[in-house]
Amino acid sequence: MTQKELFHIAKDWFHQQSWKPFPFQKETWKAFLQGKHGLLNAPTGSGKTYALWFPIVLDYIKRHPNYKTKHKKGLKAIWITPLRALSQEIKQSAERVTQDLETQMTVGIRTGDTSTKERARQKTTMPDLLITTPESLQLLLSSKGYAKVFQDCSAIVVDEWHELLGTKRGVQMELGLSRLKTVCENLRIWGISATIGNLEQAREVLLGPTSEALQNSILVRANLNKKITVRSIIPEKMETFPWRGHLGLHLLEEVVPIINKSKTTLLFTNTRSQCEIWFQKILEKHPEYAGEIAMHHGSINKETRIWVEEAIRNESLKAVVCTSSLDLGVDFAPVETVIQIGGPKGVARFLQRAGRSGHRPGKESVIYFLPTHAMELIEASALQVAVKDNAVEDRIPYLNSYDVLVQYLTTLAVSDGFYPEEIFSEIKQTFCYQGITENEWQWLLNFLVMGSQSLKTYDEYKKVEVEPDGKFKVNNKGIAMRHRFQIGTIVGDATITVRYQKGGYIGSIEEYFISKLTAGDVFTFAGRNLEFIRIKGMQAHVWNSTKRTNKVPSWMGGRLSFSAQMSKLLREELYTAELEFKKQSQEIKSLEPMFNKQREESIVPQPGEFLIETFKSRDGYHHIFYPFEGRGVHEAMSSLLSYRIGLLEPITCSLAFNDYGFEMLSDKPIDIQAVIDNNLFTTEYMLADLQKSLNSNEMARRKFRDIAVISGMVFTGYPEKGVKMKHLQSSSQLLFDVFRDFEPDNLMFQQAFTETFEHQLEEGRLRMALERIATQEIVWKACTNATPFSFPIITDRLREKLSNEKLADRIKRMTKILTK
Amino acid sequence: MTLPIEIKNQQFLLHPLGGIFWEEKSLLLISDVHLGKVAHFRKFGAAVPRKALHKNYLLLDEIVEHFNPFQICFLGDLFHSSLNKEWELFENWVAKIPSEIILVSGNHDIISPHKFEQIGVPIFQELILENFLLTHHPEEREGLFTFCGHIHPAVRLQGFGRQKLRLPCFFKTNAQLILPAFGEFTGTHVLQPKKEDEVFAIVENEIVKV
Repeated sequence: MTQKELFHIAKDWFHQQSWKPFPFQKETWKAFLQGKHGLLNAPTGSGKTYALWFPIVLDYIKRHPNYKTKHKKGLKAIWITPLRALSQEIKQSAERVTQDLETQMTVGIRTGDTSTKERARQKTTMPDLLITTPESLQLLLSSKGYAKVFQDCSAIVVDEWHELLGTKRGVQMELGLSRLKTVCENLRIWGISATIGNLEQAREVLLGPTSEALQNSILVRANLNKKITVRSIIPEKMETFPWRGHLGLHLLEEVVPIINKSKTTLLFTNTRSQCEIWFQKILEKHPEYAGEIAMHHGSINKETRIWVEEAIRNESLKAVVCTSSLDLGVDFAPVETVIQIGGPKGVARFLQRAGRSGHRPGKESVIYFLPTHAMELIEASALQVAVKDNAVEDRIPYLNSYDVLVQYLTTLAVSDGFYPEEIFSEIKQTFCYQGITENEWQWLLNFLVMGSQSLKTYDEYKKVEVEPDGKFKVNNKGIAMRHRFQIGTIVGDATITVRYQKGGYIGSIEEYFISKLTAGDVFTFAGRNLEFIRIKGMQAHVWNSTKRTNKVPSWMGGRLSFSAQMSKLLREELYTAELEFKKQSQEIKSLEPMFNKQREESIVPQPGEFLIETFKSRDGYHHIFYPFEGRGVHEAMSSLLSYRIGLLEPITCSLAFNDYGFEMLSDKPIDIQAVIDNNLFTTEYMLADLQKSLNSNEMARRKFRDIAVISGMVFTGYPEKGVKMKHLQSSSQLLFDVFRDFEPDNLMFQQAFTETFEHQLEEGRLRMALERIATQEIVWKACTNATPFSFPIITDRLREKLSNEKLADRIKRMTKILTK
Repeated sequence: MTLPIEIKNQQFLLHPLGGIFWEEKSLLLISDVHLGKVAHFRKFGAAVPRKALHKNYLLLDEIVEHFNPFQICFLGDLFHSSLNKEWELFENWVAKIPSEIILVSGNHDIISPHKFEQIGVPIFQELILENFLLTHHPEEREGLFTFCGHIHPAVRLQGFGRQKLRLPCFFKTNAQLILPAFGEFTGTHVLQPKKEDEVFAIVENEIVKV
C-alpha cells in the first residue's frame, strides 16, 4: 500500500469522527512511515496519542495487506507511560484505532497492577501493542528468552518523556532502549514531551548522542499556540493576610464565586495533605457542594480516581481538588477553569496545569493563582511575566549513574546473562554513560562479581558469576528473586495501605505518619474522618468516625526549587516595590502594607543590595540571608557559608531555606561583621569549600541512601511481608559510614557527592549567584523582631544540620540547658 | 577516658567503646558485637566493604588491651547470623586472647553451642554472680542488679537553636544497666530516660553523664 492510501485510511477515520487531523499529527505519521525516529512536542490532551498510534497501526497494515483476515501474532509496539494510572486511557485510544480499522490487533497492559495470571498469559502470547511502565520493561528484560519476545517489535513510544528526563527512571529508559536497539530487528523510537527548555537535548538523550537513530530523526512541534491568562486572587485586606503558611485557606471564600461561575473547576494543590484539607474545608463551609465536588490524589484508591476522572468527563462535578496526579494524561474537555493554590514552583508545570482548561483549539486558558502567604504574591506577579515569555525550565539529565547501571547489568545477568563487550558498546551510545571509561567499566564488573576490586579467599560474596565462555550470569535463585523485587529507581518511604476493618481499601499512607498514631486517634484521609484501630502486617485498620480532627497525613515528597529564569523574574518583581505606585503590578501594589512593615526595621532590597537580617528569639539566634536565587542555590550557599564561618569560629547551626533566602539558626550569635570583612561570599575555592562542607551535613548521606537501594547494596524487603523501611534507612545510614571509613573510593559512594553537586546544589548557578553578590552592597540589619520576609523561612521545620564543633563541647552546653 | 561508677558496693568502669569492666572480678562485659554481619550481607549479594569486617576485632583488641581482664563475658548477639567464614577470624581471635571467654546467648546467637565449646567458649542462658544478673534481654529480678544488652540504647539530646543529637549510651535504671552495642555497623534505638534513670552517653572518646 502506498503512503497516500495509508493516509487516506487515517483521514477517513478522522472524518468519521468529524475531526480534522492537526498538522503535527500528519507530520508525525509521515515521518514515522518513512522510518524515522523522533520526539513529538505536544501538550497533554492535544491528540498526541493518535499522532503515534495511527502510524504504528498503518505500518502494520502496510506490511500485512491482508490484515483484515489474517493476524500475525507477536509484539509489534511498546508504549511506555510513567504513570500506570494512565495505561487504561491509552489502551482505549489504541483499541479505537485497531478496531475501527478492522485490524485484528490486540492491545494489552503490563504494569505492577497486572495480575500474575494475565502476566503468565502474556508470556506465551504477547499482545500486538503493549502498554507498560519503565520498571515493567526492565522486568521483562529480566525474564528468560526476552530477546525473542522483542525481536519483531517495530516501535517504542516513550510518553511524557519530560517527566522521565532528569530522573533515574529516565536513565533506566535509556538503558532499556540501548538493549532494544540491538534486540529488535527494525525499531523506531519516539518520545512525546511537553514543552521544556531543553527539547533538543531531550531528543538527544532519548535516541543517544552519537547514534544513527539521532541522525535519522525529527523533532515535531505541535505549536498549538494557546492563549493563557493568569489572574491572581488578591486578598482584600492585606493587613490580616498571613506572612507564612502553605494552605491558603484564608482565601477560600474567594474561590467560591469562581467555582460557581464555571462548569467544572480544577483546584491544584501542591501536596496531598493540602488537597485533603481543602476538600474538607470547602465542604465544611459550603455543604451545598456535597456530591458536586471530589478529590483526586495519588494515594486514593484506583477505583475512586477512575470514577472522578469519568465524572469530570461527563460534567457531573462542579469542582475537583487535586494534586499533580491530574497533571498528566487524561483529556478533560469540560474543564473550564483552573485554580493553582500556592506557588507551583515551576513555569512548565504551571503552563501544563493552565492548559487543563479551555481545551478546545483557539480557546483561551484561564488559570487563577491563589497565594498561600504574602510573599507568594511576588511569585504570582513573576509568573505572569514568565507565562508571557514562555520561560520554561530545563530538565537536567543524569550522567554516570553507576547505581542504575549496576542494577541493569544484574537484570541482564538474571535473565539470559550478558557478554561485557556487547553491552559496553551499547551503553557507550547512551547519553548517561557516554563518558564512561574502560577502567570504570571494569570496576563495575568486578563489583558485580566480587563485591570489591580483588578476590580474597575467605570472602563469600555472591551475586553475578562469570561462566567459562565469559558470560556474566546469576545462577542463584534467591539472588535472582530478590533482584526482581527490587527493580526500579524510585526509593520512597514505605507505604501502608489503609483499610476498613470489615474490608474495603481506602488508600495508602506513609508509614511515618501511621507510626505516630495510637489506637483511637482520628485522622482525615480520602475526605473521611477515620479512627485508627490497629496495624496488621502492612495494613492499617480503621473505621469511620464522627469526631472532628486536625490530623492530616503528610506526604514528604520532594520540594522543588525555582529555576534560574524564575528566580531572576522574582527578583525583578521584588525590585518594583520601590517604583512609583502606578508603575507597579496589581500584586505588588496589594503588598504595600507588608512592604511597609518590612521597612520598619529592615529594607526591601534593590538591585544593588544584598540583605542580611539578624535577631534573637526563644529558638536561638537567627541570621537570615536573602539572595533570591531559589531553594537549591540557597541550600548550597548556606552550606558553604556556614562551613566558612566555622573556620573563623566553631559553630553549630540548623539551616532552613526557601526560594527567597536562607536562615542559619544557632545557639550563639554569628559575627556578621566578620563575615563581611573576611569576604566569605567569594567564589575562590568555592568547590573545595563546598565539598568540605558536605562532609559535615546530611545531603550526600541522603543521596547515598537511594544509590545503595538502586544498586542493590541494601535489600528493602519483600512487599507485604512487613519488613519495615526504617530498617533500610538506618542500615543505609550505617553503610554510608562504613564506606566513608573503609572504601571512600567506591564509585557509588563518590556518586552520592557528584549527584549532590550537580542535581541538588546546582554548583554552576551557585557560582553565578556569588558573582552577582560580589557586585552588591551588603546591607546588614540587626532587628529586634522577625520581619515579614524572614517569617516563612524561620518557621520552616524541615532543616539541615551542620556542625564543626567538637561533639563533647556541644553536649556540655546542651546538658547545661537540660539541667538548668 | 573511662568513667567509674559504683553499684552495690562494687566498682565498675565504663569504656567509651561500649564495654564495662568489673574491677573486683576483673571481668569485662561486652554486648551485641554482631560479628559476621558484614560477611552475612556479602553472602547475600550486598557489597558492604570487606575491610569493615576487621574493624570489630581491632576494637575488641583495643578494649581488651586496656583492661587486661581475667574474664570476658559477651552479653549476647555475639554473632549476627548463621555460620560463615568469619567464624575462622573469631576462632583466631579467641586463640590469641589470654582472657577466659564466656557467652550469655542472645536472640541472634544461632550458631551451635558445640562450635563454641570446641574453641573453649562456654555458653549460658544467663549468669548470676553474687547479686548481679547477666542476661541478654533486659529483665528486672527481685534482689538482683541486671547487666544486659539487646536494645542498642541511644539517647536524644536537645539544645538551644533547635539542636538535636542522638548518641549511643549506657542506660541505667535502679535495677539494671543496658549496655550499648559494641559492634560497628549496628543501629541504635532511642530510649526516653525517666527521672530516676541515669544515662551515660558515648561522645567520641569520652563518657558524658547526661
